[in-house]
Amino acid sequence: MVPRTNILGKRVGKIDPGSLPAYVASGGFLALRKALTLQPEEIVHEIMAAHLIGRGGAAFSAGFKWAAVRRETARPKYVVCNADESEPGTFKDRYLLEGDPFRIVEAMAISAYAVGANRGFLYVRGEYPLAYKRLAHAVAESRRAGYLGLNLWNTEFCFDIEIYRGAGAYVCGEETALFESIEGRRGQPRLKPPFPTTNGLFGQPTLINNVETLANVPDIVLNGGQWYRTLGPLTNPGPKLYAVSGHVRKPGVYEATMDLTLQELIYELAGGIPGGRRVQAVLVGGAAGTFLRPDQLDVALGFDTLRTIGATLGSGAVMVLDDSVDLWNVLRRVTRFFQHESCGKCFPCQLGTQRQAEIVTRLAAGNVHPGDGAALTDIGLTMRDASICGLGQMASSALLSAFSQFSLLPREDEL
Amino acid sequence: MTETTETFTYDYPAIEAIVTRHEAKGRAGLLPCLQEIQAFTGWLTPDICQLVGRRLDVPLADIYGVIDFYTLLYREPVGKTIIRVCDDMACYLNGSEEVLSSFKKWLGIGPGETTPDGKYTLEVHPCLGYCDLAPMAMMGDDVHGHLTPDKVADLLEVK
Ligand SMILES: Cc1cc2nc3c(=O)[nH]c(=O)nc-3n(C[C@H](O)[C@H](O)[C@H](O)COP(=O)(O)O)c2cc1C
Ligand code: SF4
Ligand code: FES
Repeated sequence: MVPRTNILGKRVGKIDPGSLPAYVASGGFLALRKALTLQPEEIVHEIMAAHLIGRGGAAFSAGFKWAAVRRETARPKYVVCNADESEPGTFKDRYLLEGDPFRIVEAMAISAYAVGANRGFLYVRGEYPLAYKRLAHAVAESRRAGYLGLNLWNTEFCFDIEIYRGAGAYVCGEETALFESIEGRRGQPRLKPPFPTTNGLFGQPTLINNVETLANVPDIVLNGGQWYRTLGPLTNPGPKLYAVSGHVRKPGVYEATMDLTLQELIYELAGGIPGGRRVQAVLVGGAAGTFLRPDQLDVALGFDTLRTIGATLGSGAVMVLDDSVDLWNVLRRVTRFFQHESCGKCFPCQLGTQRQAEIVTRLAAGNVHPGDGAALTDIGLTMRDASICGLGQMASSALLSAFSQFSLLPREDEL
Repeated sequence: MTETTETFTYDYPAIEAIVTRHEAKGRAGLLPCLQEIQAFTGWLTPDICQLVGRRLDVPLADIYGVIDFYTLLYREPVGKTIIRVCDDMACYLNGSEEVLSSFKKWLGIGPGETTPDGKYTLEVHPCLGYCDLAPMAMMGDDVHGHLTPDKVADLLEVK
């Protein structure tokens, strides 16, 4: 049985995403209302008990982060929703933002109450104009109806949200680059530590979470962390959104618990491969992800299960490549992407992404030199170990995984 | 403000009003301010940059630095509608190369160029986040998916 769930996407495509009454009629704002009757610590405790893992790519425990920001005594504190989704192959946050924008408003308010913040910032990708329009409407409507603003439900709690639009830079999805961007600067990542929990936006303690992470929050508040842990595998509980693209009959976003296998996702949910073709490779986690072989499709798409075979779930992007594809053309795009998106702040990434793209472009044209494999491995490992942020650290991941999974380069003695 | 060195050829009061709305936030108002002005003017002229810099108290060099960092901000004239064709992996797997060729053919320009009538600027982009619609392109704010050379011709009304 395919372990499908319908929790995160329960309103998407079912109710009018522009209608506050429709949101409220479908149980919207019940969780915020309940949250305000609890102590903030109790909410953090439930998030912790739920074992909610961040869905933005880094797979960090949400409860741990919430508790850390809660503990900080400096004021003001901020909450930030990371809606900059730009990992190639990833469109699951857009599905939530366009389909259920009020849920994100509600979840941000709950997170702010839990950690002791009164201001929220929502940073939405510049290339998502429809998502932006719906979010702006949702924030304005919520404010007008008193779900945002001063003394919500006559409590002490005040909260409001400001929306920022990205301006076309992948690296601004990195949390500290995102802060720089809101602060009106080039979106270049900061050295960590200090971490956002102590020195985030405007130097203040900041809770930053991904859209999908936040989307889990209302149901956890309503049903409890224990309920959440019963969904799917104990170590990776809860619903997960998978964005499937490439050579499948029905590309799209699918929701399931993390015992879902790649086989089930591709063949039962996404309709299989068109044109009677077969799978050649699957890229999991986008450009910063890893390639899997067709004999690895029985792997469950969880954070830990993928790690055991040397892969990562990342953002949950799944791109399917059939047996007609020239992998070099795909690798050329991966490396060109990182070359283009490197912010240039640190040398390993600035130079490494350029050299890597140059060599791969030459290889893709069939021009192989002795030592290319070794050079790319060397560049890749240097970037991984010496780059400031995740962009450089992951910029060689897909390429090196393709080398180790498929025999792409001729043997050195054959050159 | 008494300085009148600017040579605005567009609706100055509208731009002033935008700047005034973001002024209080200082530098944190920079990105939204530039974005809103550009939505009016298409691109950010030197006089706009000077005005914004003075009122938001940001050095001009920093404003240029910020604009050049972000691909959606422009310091050079662009066409009325910017066409962003995705040529990243999922779109490539579904035929983006053909789609891009037909945009080039019908517009008679290459990526980074603007049509002589100033109507369109053509750009090639990494993944735009609509891979379920691959191959896709954006024309201004409008998303067009499952493109074919024929559909491209329809969009550009060239047939
Ligand atoms: C280059 C780069 C790009 C990133 N892009 C995103 C993004 O688009 N959306 C996102 O939520 N997190 C992104 N992240 C991860 C964020 O830095 C951060 O870990 C995340 O927003 C935390 O939210 P979570 O704990 O809820 O997952 C990116 C990280 C890196 C290094
Ligand atoms: S790793 Fe790359 S993107 Fe990250 S800070 Fe260094 S140069 Fe910038
Ligand atoms: S690859 Fe084209 S939209 Fe994602």
